[in-house]
Formats: sequence, C-alpha cells, structure tokens
Amino acid sequence: MAQMTYRQALHDTLREELLRNENVFLLGEEIGNFEGSYKITAGLLKEFGPRRVVDTPICENGFVGMATGAAMLGLHPIVEIMTINFIIPAMDEIVNHAAKIYYMFGGQCPIPMVIRTPGGGGQQLAATHSQNLEVWFAHVPGLKVVAPSTPADARGMLRTAVSDPNPVIFLENLALYNVKGEVPDGDYTVPFGQAKVTKEGKDLTVISYSRMAAVALDVAQRMEQENQLSIEVVDLCSLRPLDKTTILNSVKKTNRAIVFEEDWRTYGIGAEIAATVQEEAFDDLDAPVKRVASIEVPLPYSKSLERAALTGAKHLEDAIHSLAPRRRR
Amino acid sequence: MPEITMPRLSDTMEEGTISRWLKQPGDTIQKGDILGEIETDKATMDLEAYEAGVLEQILVPAGETVPIGQPIAIIGTGAGTIAAPASKQVQPTKAVQASASSTLEALPAPAVSAPHESAAAGDGAAAVKASPLARRLAEEHNIDLRQLQGTGPGGRIVRDDIEEVLEQRTAPAAAAQAAPAPVPPPSAPPPEAELVKLSRVQLLIARRLTESKQTIPHFYVSSEVDMTDLLAMRQTLNANLGEDGVKVTVNDLIVKACALALEKFPEVNSSLKEDSFVRYKHINVGMAVDAPTGLVVPVIRDANSKGVRSIARESKALIAKARNNKLAPADLEGGTFSVSNLGMMDASTFIAVINPPQAAILAVAATRKQFVPVDGQPVIRDLMTMTLSTDHRILSGATVARFLQEVKQLLQNPYSVLG
Repeated sequence: MAQMTYRQALHDTLREELLRNENVFLLGEEIGNFEGSYKITAGLLKEFGPRRVVDTPICENGFVGMATGAAMLGLHPIVEIMTINFIIPAMDEIVNHAAKIYYMFGGQCPIPMVIRTPGGGGQQLAATHSQNLEVWFAHVPGLKVVAPSTPADARGMLRTAVSDPNPVIFLENLALYNVKGEVPDGDYTVPFGQAKVTKEGKDLTVISYSRMAAVALDVAQRMEQENQLSIEVVDLCSLRPLDKTTILNSVKKTNRAIVFEEDWRTYGIGAEIAATVQEEAFDDLDAPVKRVASIEVPLPYSKSLERAALTGAKHLEDAIHSLAPRRRR
Repeated sequence: MPEITMPRLSDTMEEGTISRWLKQPGDTIQKGDILGEIETDKATMDLEAYEAGVLEQILVPAGETVPIGQPIAIIGTGAGTIAAPASKQVQPTKAVQASASSTLEALPAPAVSAPHESAAAGDGAAAVKASPLARRLAEEHNIDLRQLQGTGPGGRIVRDDIEEVLEQRTAPAAAAQAAPAPVPPPSAPPPEAELVKLSRVQLLIARRLTESKQTIPHFYVSSEVDMTDLLAMRQTLNANLGEDGVKVTVNDLIVKACALALEKFPEVNSSLKEDSFVRYKHINVGMAVDAPTGLVVPVIRDANSKGVRSIARESKALIAKARNNKLAPADLEGGTFSVSNLGMMDASTFIAVINPPQAAILAVAATRKQFVPVDGQPVIRDLMTMTLSTDHRILSGATVARFLQEVKQLLQNPYSVLG
C-alpha cells in the first residue's frame, strides 16, 4: 500500500503493463518526447523506446484506426487521446469499427484496445476543451466505459482494461490527476460492472462517477458532521456495463436518490439512472429522482462564468437539502 | 341528451363538492339558470346552465365530491326524468358530510387509523397525491391516504407522513401502559364531543397554515402608530357623504398605506422560488376576512395605484362576497402582501401567520387612547400597534424595520395616502 497521486497510479500501471506484456504498446499525441500533456507517460519513451511508445501526428481518426488494426492482429494498444474533446474525429473508428468487429465477424478477432482520455471542465480551457462526452460511448453496445474516481481504482481498472478483449474507453479527469490516495501494490485489479458504496447512509443516495463521485463523498461526509444527515454515496466506477443491482439496493434502502454528474443534464448519465430506478424500484421511491448536472451551455472561458455553469459541491448540497426527508432535515 | 359535468372552476381544482342543488328533476331550465352550487378548494360557485331544457336527472347528490369532468346531471326534453338522485350510478371519490356532524360515539377509532369502506389505500386513493413508497406503506399498514395531509412538494404524501401516523398509533397505547391514565387517552374522546368535518376550504387553510408555520422562518417587527390625525381625516372624508356613498374604513387607509410603502420597498413585495426572489410588478394587497366557511383573503389588485375611495368600494364588495360565500377564485388569487386587522375586536396586539408564498403579513391591532408625553405634558392620543410577520429567507430585520417605518409615517401623515 502506497500513497500516490492519480497521475502516478496511472503512470506506474502503464509501466507495469509495458513490462508485463510485450504486446502492450502506447500511442498518442505528445506522449513520447514531450512525456504527455499531463505527464502520465513521463519517462516511458526513454525506458521502452519508440516501438513501444509511439508519438503520433495530430490525427485521431488515423491513429485510433491504426490501434484498432493492431488490436485485430493481437497487440494490446493503449491509446491516449489528449482530452476527450479530441476524440470526435475518431468516432467512426471507435463506434463503427472497434465496437463492432468482434461481434460482426463471428468472434474471430477481439479488439483488446484501451483508449485513455481525460474529460472535465474547470481549467479555463473554454468550450471546445472542457467537455464530458462519456455518455456518447456509454450508449454504444460493444464498448466498455469506465470512470475511476480514486488512484486505487485508476490502477485497478486500468489493469482490468488492458486484459479485456473489448475496446475500453477509460475516462480520466483533469481535476483528478493530482488527487492523492492509498493504492494497493501487486496484482490488484478492480472488476468492471461493479459500483461501490463509498459511504453508507440512510436518508438518501447520491449516485455519481469520476471526479463528481469524489466531490459527492466529500459533501456527504461534511453534511453528516454538520447537518446530521446520513447520506449514502454510490460510485458507479463503470458506466457500461452499469451495475444496476448496487444502485437499486441503495435506493431501496434510502428511498430517495440524486444523480450528480458533471456532464449536461439532458440525455445524460443521470437520465439513464433515473429511468432505471423508476423502472425497477418504483414502489420504493419516496420522491422523484433528482439530477444535479452542469448548465446546458458551451462552457464559458471566463473564470466566473465557467464557475457559474459547472455543477459542484454547492449544487449538490442544495439538492440534498431540498430532497432530504423532512423528518431528518 | 346533454350531460352536465363537474366544471373546472379554478386552476388548482381537481374535484368539486355539490353544496346543494337549486333545481329538482322535472324543473324546466332556461339558459343561464343557476342549477346549484359547487364548493371547490377555493370558493363556492354557482353552477350555471348553458342549455335550456328539462333537468331530467341529478347524478350526484348534494354533499358528494366528484372529479372534474364527471357527469353530475342530465338536461333533456323531459322524457327521461328520474326523480330520485341516483347516487350509485357514479363513483364519487368520497362522501363528504358537508355541514352535517356526527358524534364521535358512532366512530370506532381516530380518523387516520380507520380504513373506510373496503379500499384502504386502493382505488379511492387514486386522486390523492402520494409517493409510490407512501402508497405501498399505506397499503401495508392499512392507512387511508385520503385522511392524510401530505407535507411533500405540492402536498404530496411521503414516507414522513406515514411514519407520523404509525408513531401516533403506537404512542397513545404506550402512554396508557406507562401511566394508569387518570385522563382518558386521546383516542377515546368523551362521548359528548362532536366530530365536525372540515370543509374543503378549511382543509386547505389548515394545510397552508401548517406549511407556512413549519417551513417559513417567521420573524416579527412591531411598531406603534399615532392614529389621531388619520382618524380625524377619515371623519372629514366620510362626513357629508350622500346616502349611497361608500365610507372609507381605517383598514382601507392601512391597505393603501401598505401599498404605497410596498412601492418603495419592492423586496417586501416578493416571494422565494427555489433559488430566486420573485419581485412582483403588481402590488396586490390581500385582506383577511372572517367568512362563515373560515378565513379567506380576497385581494385588492394594484392597490398602490387606486384611490382610497376605490379601495373602499372594492373591499366592501369583497367582504360582502366573502360573507355570502360568493368569492370567485379570481378574487382570491394573486395577492402579494396581506393585512389582517383585529382592531375592531379590541385585540391589543397580535401576530399573524404568513400567507404563502408572500413575504409578509401585517397584523393590525386596536387603536386605544393613551397618554403620550408632548413637550413634557401628558396628552391623549390614539395609538395603534401593528406587527409585521416576515419571511427571514427573503427579508432582513433592517429592511423590515424601514418598511414599517414608512407605513407608520404614511399613517401619521394621513394626507399622503390620498395622493
């Protein structure tokens, strides 16, 4: 067990995977000489050389297609898309090819490809560099989408991703890279399709993922101290496959749920969770499922406007106050 | 053969109670005749005939409540007249003993715990707003949802409300066991007590006032006003008034003074809606009126831009309507501030409960002669205490004090309210 940042956990895991399996290789923009825009791949080119750590031109459709082909032929590519905003040119390769080939051609070739990419706003990177587009991928059968919120989960899920025979969208978050936490050593993995109850509670459930799951846990702990509210926090960890059982068990216990997500509200992850809960736990609901998400605008550059548009701890607190059962408020 | 259905008489109306029928089966009906009276959640209103013909059949007898849209009577040529009201042909949502009262002796248990008829939380509860969980719990514990007042959003019955009923069920029994009761437990009231059913208006008042006192952080600021000059001015205003002239009351002047002060303090003329303050463009002052069916608050619209004589005429008409149960929903809607006056009943001071979603209500007490020092000498003046109840989420003490000061100055310089 060691204390490290989310960035360090990713770096160390990539390095271990490169050491463990010579079919694993990394590719992406600026990951070699420049050591990664967010320094996740620092030192790896020097250690493993340009056959294993490949700097690509700025052409996501090209190198994601290349990685898909490499995976078809038995390699294990780990692609870095600098931020999720730049994944858009590669949609055809991901959705029409990587997600379909294993299925359409009689299971002849699995696509053991991992696409690592950070999402999220709040860094004053303006509208085209601050998005949360994970729901596009969570919608597509044939893909797996995971979104770890802690350094330990980042490590455990990245290892699971590398060994998965399907293309995996591995969602990181710019604001999580410096977050520190305990990370177990050794052959530690975290399975896909299993949500975690990161805090137990009785009065209501907050369901979240990625960075917002970390914010939710923080808010829940604080409000337990300050407001005597007992809040359960569910960290989805995987968006596809989605662990409905953990969500439903929690809602059956607390009878009230908030979905807290950094993406836009309409057609978002929250909409999917809310629909699932009303379909499968209707008689356990004491209030409509509430969604707390960001304002539906292209994210402004101006610091104050950006802050106003993004959701955060304050929005969640307000939602908890308005949804908590009266007798416990 | 045209059916007459329960009309929608207000925006919030979901069902209505037939207070009484004024026509009987067999009566010839002219277009525009008043067939009967319908009590809604807001007011009692006339049921007007839109077709001429013969009232053939009354489908819903007086005292019963049905949802809007349900047929309540049939007007035709007279061929199919059926004398007796056929109440069993329709499914009333509930039978309300409108004015009748029954002794408690006849009732087995407290209202909340007695499942009515066959369906406890079943079909009859469909019109009741309740969360799915509350419905399930009510069914499990045999609780009649129709007997509960929901405290959730929009009056929805939620788990909290069910839990309270369950606690009340166990509490008296536990108390009785703990102490060999010298007083009979609350579940068995003395047989001479009477159970009087609440009318829809009374139910609504009960719910709204509970909600107000439980959810709005009230605070109170009082001020004493010298009314001597205002009373003198009023006397002048009303002297030499012709036979049909409308007298201006002290309350009319207070309403006008409040309206003028609200113009200067728009933050008092506002509401809280989620994360916003709603500042109203119109100043509509409600007056609490003691009507036979309970407390009602008809509204004088745009009171700031009306003269005191117009206000007097309107308030007189509204009070008369209130006393006769003739207030229309439109008379009761849109208030942005309220005045409650118990001065004529000699109340020396009192505080009122805020009428949501308004931010404040002014409680006006009696005017009394008191000695006041003027230039070091005791002088008799007419003093009145007024107390403003205020929503602390919307207003702070300093603003409220300044607002009250403005009202006071207007009343003490009464000619300014004539402007």
